[in-house]
Amino acid sequence: MNARSRHLPHRLRPATAAALLTFWTLPFGALAHGALAQSGVDTAPSAAETRMPEPSYLEPLNANESTGVLGSKVVGPNGDDFGLITDVIVDRDGRPRAAVIDFGGFLGVGSRKVAVDWNLLQFDPSQRDHKAVLALGRREIQGAPEYRADAASAAMVGPPAVGASTGADGGK
Amino acid sequence: MAANDPADTLAGRALPHLGRAPGISAGRGLDWFNLFVANIQTGFGPFVAVYLTTQGWTQTRIGLALSLGTISAMASQVPAGALVDVIHSKAAVAFFSILAFTASALFFALWPTPLFVYLAEALHGFSSCTLGPAIAAMSLMIAGRRALGLRLGRNARFAAIGNALGAALMGACGYYFSNRSVFFLTAALTLVALVPLMPLARLYESSRPEARQRPGPARRGNMIRVLTNRALLSYALLAMLFTLGNAAMLPLAGNVVTKRAAGEGVLLIAAGIVLPQLVAAALSPALGQLAEARGRRLVLFLGFCTLPIRAALFAYVTDPALIILVQALDGIAGASIGIIGPLVTADVAAESGHYNLALGFVGLAIGIGATFSTGLAGWAADGFGSETAFLAMAAVGLAATALVWAVMPETRPR
Repeated sequence: MNARSRHLPHRLRPATAAALLTFWTLPFGALAHGALAQSGVDTAPSAAETRMPEPSYLEPLNANESTGVLGSKVVGPNGDDFGLITDVIVDRDGRPRAAVIDFGGFLGVGSRKVAVDWNLLQFDPSQRDHKAVLALGRREIQGAPEYRADAASAAMVGPPAVGASTGADGGK
Repeated sequence: MAANDPADTLAGRALPHLGRAPGISAGRGLDWFNLFVANIQTGFGPFVAVYLTTQGWTQTRIGLALSLGTISAMASQVPAGALVDVIHSKAAVAFFSILAFTASALFFALWPTPLFVYLAEALHGFSSCTLGPAIAAMSLMIAGRRALGLRLGRNARFAAIGNALGAALMGACGYYFSNRSVFFLTAALTLVALVPLMPLARLYESSRPEARQRPGPARRGNMIRVLTNRALLSYALLAMLFTLGNAAMLPLAGNVVTKRAAGEGVLLIAAGIVLPQLVAAALSPALGQLAEARGRRLVLFLGFCTLPIRAALFAYVTDPALIILVQALDGIAGASIGIIGPLVTADVAAESGHYNLALGFVGLAIGIGATFSTGLAGWAADGFGSETAFLAMAAVGLAATALVWAVMPETRPR
């Protein structure tokens, strides 16, 4: 082995190349399994759909009138950047109660998750960048308690006028 | 000061088996390579969570992707080290690791779908574990045992500069363009990083064949001897304890800054990331020199000392600007760990043929510390407040510092 490597000092030996290749392709193999399983799940219903007749109760979702909200940028009333919507909290009836906003931070360091009253958010689906405007100042969300999905009770930041009482009721 | 021109002096005696003196460019090449690698790694950090959020990922799925990266890195530390040991051209290892980073960055940028993101995380975790040992091994080949401390000091300086530049560059990129552009920038930087790797391709580990030519059983006995060495085990334990007290500190401090900052906390947190790197860049060469002149124990002790001090100050300092100043202490700790880790490991394992395996072992210990750090600190901060969490970290840091004095043997060769 060593004699051989001395003959080919500046090149990758075949065994080395094979070892490297195996090593770096391992994750592909491992994940391809998961991918196949996943794509199987994904394609099954769509294949069924193509065979079935189109449902009669289809309603149009106009892109200019509705939008997804996960990952939407949240800005303040004067346009400064607050963060991203990471989750929507709904009540028993599925009506949105609060939005969880990942607030502040730099390159993912130091951000805090804060829940705000859903009614304080305004969406404009006709805008291309899907920004949500929050009717609160930076100060009002900054001091809010961190939102934890697994906590027994959580608090959300309410409208400024009744914010104090909402915070006290919702807290622990 | 010798610290000002060690690249030339180090590299001059570096590669006697090459005949000519191409070592000057090899030393400089390694400088720049360290800088670019640190640069590249910035985008793969906590920023991934931000990016995936903007791509409409749920928090659960993001957590899964990040865990996959952690598990991949932890699981491949030791095997990756063993693999790097048997590959003679460490530059080839570095080359392929960087290409894996290119692929990861492009997967993130082009296809932020679960399949490709999981792939990118696994690939990145894997190749981080081959790249780190490869850099340490190339440093050893360039500098030799006697001057390794100085060489690692240089590595730490250029890595710190790379970290600082990376944070500034990627932060600006994400702010002015888009989060996606950060990964395009990362992919571009990986290709740039291959340039300083070229002079390093001539480094070839053929000059120390005696350790490799031993038959199997002797080699295995050798490996066990390295992994049960008291100095290596002590260092691994200490580094794990240190990371347990340290890893969650910046996120937690950043959280406090975001909560208390008067205006935009973003700039303060950016300063909290960049400032320690500047401190590390300034001090690293001196710390490397100190490790060669006065011993590893002293430098390790100095670095560890800053942890309990910093944690205790965090518990009581409330002014966001002061918090950032306290965070600058992290630069001393980061530099000393970055230098002493590969140095002590070389003292123990350089001649054994298992240097990279031993580095992987230490890396695994640090990874375990980091994993538990975030969990424990988060739990303490939720249940008892961030002051208590900081005080707990200070206690861990104090214990680690005391243990440096109590159990860590001096490994500097005489």
